Amino acid sequence: MIERHLLKLRARAPVGADEEQAIRDAVGEVRTYPADHVVIRAGQRIEASTLLLDGIMCRYKDLSEGQRQITELHVSGDFVDLHSFTLKRLDHNIMTLTPCRVAMVPHEKLGQITERFPHLTRLYWFTTNMDAAIHREWELSLGRRTALSRIAALFCEMRLRLEVVGMTEGETYALPLTQTDLAECLGLTPIHVNRTLKELREQGLVQFKSGRVTILDWDRLRDVAEFDPAYLYLGPIPL
Amino acid sequence: MARYYLNIRNGGGYVEDMEGQELPDLAAARLQAIEGVRSVLSEEARQGEIDLSGSIEIADQAGNILLILPFSDAVHLRLNEKEA
Repeated sequence: MIERHLLKLRARAPVGADEEQAIRDAVGEVRTYPADHVVIRAGQRIEASTLLLDGIMCRYKDLSEGQRQITELHVSGDFVDLHSFTLKRLDHNIMTLTPCRVAMVPHEKLGQITERFPHLTRLYWFTTNMDAAIHREWELSLGRRTALSRIAALFCEMRLRLEVVGMTEGETYALPLTQTDLAECLGLTPIHVNRTLKELREQGLVQFKSGRVTILDWDRLRDVAEFDPAYLYLGPIPL
Repeated sequence: MARYYLNIRNGGGYVEDMEGQELPDLAAARLQAIEGVRSVLSEEARQGEIDLSGSIEIADQAGNILLILPFSDAVHLRLNEKEA
């Protein structure tokens, strides 16, 4: 059940048998949600963190007219709100973008992990730092990248993050999002996304069709995005 | 709610909306089209060349074109002071 979560952690640091058992013991209730379901609302009291097992979820904030800005996408193996362990309420919402299956990890159990497993605690601290790094990269995109390189950068990021958890097949991966979802990630509109996707396809860089991304030219796609994967901290880290 | 398809026709060619969006009515679809055009034009403005010659075709599920929104209808242009 937590295999993808372990893949994500082990890409950065070894997870011992006792640590793995501690994670397994901490996992409680499993829940399923339909697509487009708000799972956590900003401000609500939270007593368990949500570990995403299957599907795609996002963090978002919005304005009164309903304009939504997605601030990060989450894939299988991610905690969507490990930071709620210390914050206890979030300043943003969390929703599903596809049907999802999640496991609840009570904060009480996370507290026990922090007391008994310092190395695993540092590894979890690392993952919240990585979320912050992803937010910074998205800030760069939203503030400075063109629409073309914004989409290119997102497709690069999702490829590498999904690769870590074994969810790519060669140059393709499933990303079952709508143009509206992409627009909300990228600070664009569905029309603008649609037009830019066509440009990416015509330039032979990447194709997005029926919820599937096919990388046509990885090197050029990275160039167009000025994508530097350093912010994803993909390699081992001495913790 | 109904499904509306917002196809783009401009200098870059024709971009068909394969996906569509669920919207309350045609007026909402027109607003989506206006926002979409403004988003595209703002990007063009950043790059220094604005092409107002395109249009958005709003179609229903059956492919009937319900409304055509010229890009120029999505923005007010003031080219000199007395037009203000």
